[in-house]
Amino acid sequence: MTQEPEPGVQGAATGIRVVIVDDHSIFRSGLRNDLDSTLEVVGEAANVDAAADAIASLKPDVVLLDVHLPGGSGGGGAEVIRRSQAASPATRYLALSVSDSAEDVVGVIRAGARGYITKASSGSEVSRAVAAVADGDAVFSPRLAGFVLDAFGAASGEQAEANDELDRLSAREREVMRLIARGYAYKEVAAELFISIKTVETHVSSVLRKLQLSSRHELTAWALERRLL
Amino acid sequence: MDAGVTPDAGASRAFRAPLARPRLCVLGGVCAALARHLNMSVAVVRIIFVGLAFAGGAGLLLYVWFWALVPLEGQGGASAAGAGAAAGAGAAPSAVRRRINVPWLLFAVAVALAIAAFVDGAFGGGSLFIVTVVMLACAAGSVAWDQLVEAGDGTVPSGWARAPLVAGAVAGAGARGGSRSIRVAAGGLLVAVAVLEPVAWAHVDAWLAWPLFTLTVLVAAVVLFGPWALHLWQQLMTERTARVREEQRAEIAAHLHDSVLQTLALIQNRAGASSEVSRIARAQERELREWLYAGADPLETDLATELKDFGAALELDHAVRIEVVAVGEPSERGTGELAAAAREAMLNAARHAGGDVSVYIETTADAVDVFVRDRGPGFDPETVPQGRLGVRESIMGRMRRAGGSARVVPGAGGVGTEVRLHLDRRDADEGEQP
Repeated sequence: MTQEPEPGVQGAATGIRVVIVDDHSIFRSGLRNDLDSTLEVVGEAANVDAAADAIASLKPDVVLLDVHLPGGSGGGGAEVIRRSQAASPATRYLALSVSDSAEDVVGVIRAGARGYITKASSGSEVSRAVAAVADGDAVFSPRLAGFVLDAFGAASGEQAEANDELDRLSAREREVMRLIARGYAYKEVAAELFISIKTVETHVSSVLRKLQLSSRHELTAWALERRLL
Repeated sequence: MDAGVTPDAGASRAFRAPLARPRLCVLGGVCAALARHLNMSVAVVRIIFVGLAFAGGAGLLLYVWFWALVPLEGQGGASAAGAGAAAGAGAAPSAVRRRINVPWLLFAVAVALAIAAFVDGAFGGGSLFIVTVVMLACAAGSVAWDQLVEAGDGTVPSGWARAPLVAGAVAGAGARGGSRSIRVAAGGLLVAVAVLEPVAWAHVDAWLAWPLFTLTVLVAAVVLFGPWALHLWQQLMTERTARVREEQRAEIAAHLHDSVLQTLALIQNRAGASSEVSRIARAQERELREWLYAGADPLETDLATELKDFGAALELDHAVRIEVVAVGEPSERGTGELAAAAREAMLNAARHAGGDVSVYIETTADAVDVFVRDRGPGFDPETVPQGRLGVRESIMGRMRRAGGSARVVPGAGGVGTEVRLHLDRRDADEGEQP
């Protein structure tokens, strides 16, 4: 076990408690330095088993989770989420990956991650994403939004008839996803569509839920056959 | 006789042409090669070989030996120095041309021998065994030659070049269909022989007739199905090689993914988005990723691939991070007007704005949209001086001519600029037809 729970880094009591799970120690320490002071890194782990143990004992608010991890039964980040859900149900997960492959991203999202960002994101971007996830919001990168549009057939004009339909996006959700894919921040999406930021977040969360629950076969078939790039 | 025969004898006596078989040849090109190399007449060389052949087959062996060891012209170490004389030979990659059609010649011999065998069998002659075996060898040899030698040499059976001396045997063979017809002809001959044998050889000793009959049937089966089996086998081997390579590639990808890509991401992260180091790392990452994940190269790049490549190239030259997201089945070609306009917009964003640039390509059933969004100081097309043609001509004019539209608007929240390109697909298809 390479993880060592860090006793109280100067973080405030109200700070978001974060565990960083990544098998590269340089990356962990780099990320730890770059994160905002509002985030308190309470632990690190380098493999699936250490991560599951750390999450169970520390019960962090947010776990920054690499998609590819050694150890466990080879399931990587998705396995960490599945194993930790019972022990720490309140913990939320943000997938952090260099991977562009759709199966990796969709795998970890469907396991329960609340968002996905690339490792090339800057420290402040990661911090903002962590804060959003801690608030219960979903974090979508443009690439993930593009994938969602493709996987739900939005480009070919498919549209949900009812709000509770899981296999297709509603017109509004599609609009939001398009704007995110175009590089708009939530705030900009809200301004563009004349809706509140809260509504944007609701739409994004709803899309995330569909992504996690939909049985749409394209989600997996498409993910297997193509790479999200 | 031969185009390759007349050496540059007059040029210099000391010069010796390299020993190489010409690509325009009668059988193997051995005699012509030796004649040129030794500065002799090709007829003399041929007579020597034929003479030697009667000395216990030495000439035949020597011929085969030379054939196996002497390289083709322009192949291996043989320089093309002597090729100047061989007008028909041309440059190195040209195919071997034979003046006689060996498979059909062998087939003709097989037919003659089959007739001889029946005559022989009917009159109870003693040479039935040897005649039949040679006949079978010729029939099988004709197909084997066609499948192995000609395919290996990349031979173009040259219908026009066939010498009249073998006219009878080669008259009807077409150029490429020859491969199939020789199989059918040889197979048909052998089957006919096998059917007729029991009738014709009623008087022949059963100890001789039955083994010959069995042998005939076997060779017929090989001739008819051998090439097919060979083809299947080759296909299997090719597939297996491809699969092994694919597996190896996946393994390498997995390894590099966990090591090099992570490190490159880390470098970008630590070096800051717009620094030189970060740009180089990012470009490297893209290149590596492409190599890892790209399957077979698409024949013609589509719009998304083209813009991704262009974005990667821009990142090398400018302090910019370009993310390209494509949605929908790519239909637009990377060479069209839309791609050119999008490239121009990306170039503008990289040059004047820098930082993060988002490119979004959406292909729907009836239109293609491209959005290029930067977060630079912003830009108003109305204030651009007349002399600056970038936006006005390269983007707007181009899209108008292609039947689409282009708009340059301030980015969301007044930050930066967004270029919106729109092209109806039906129009696009017609517009791109030459």
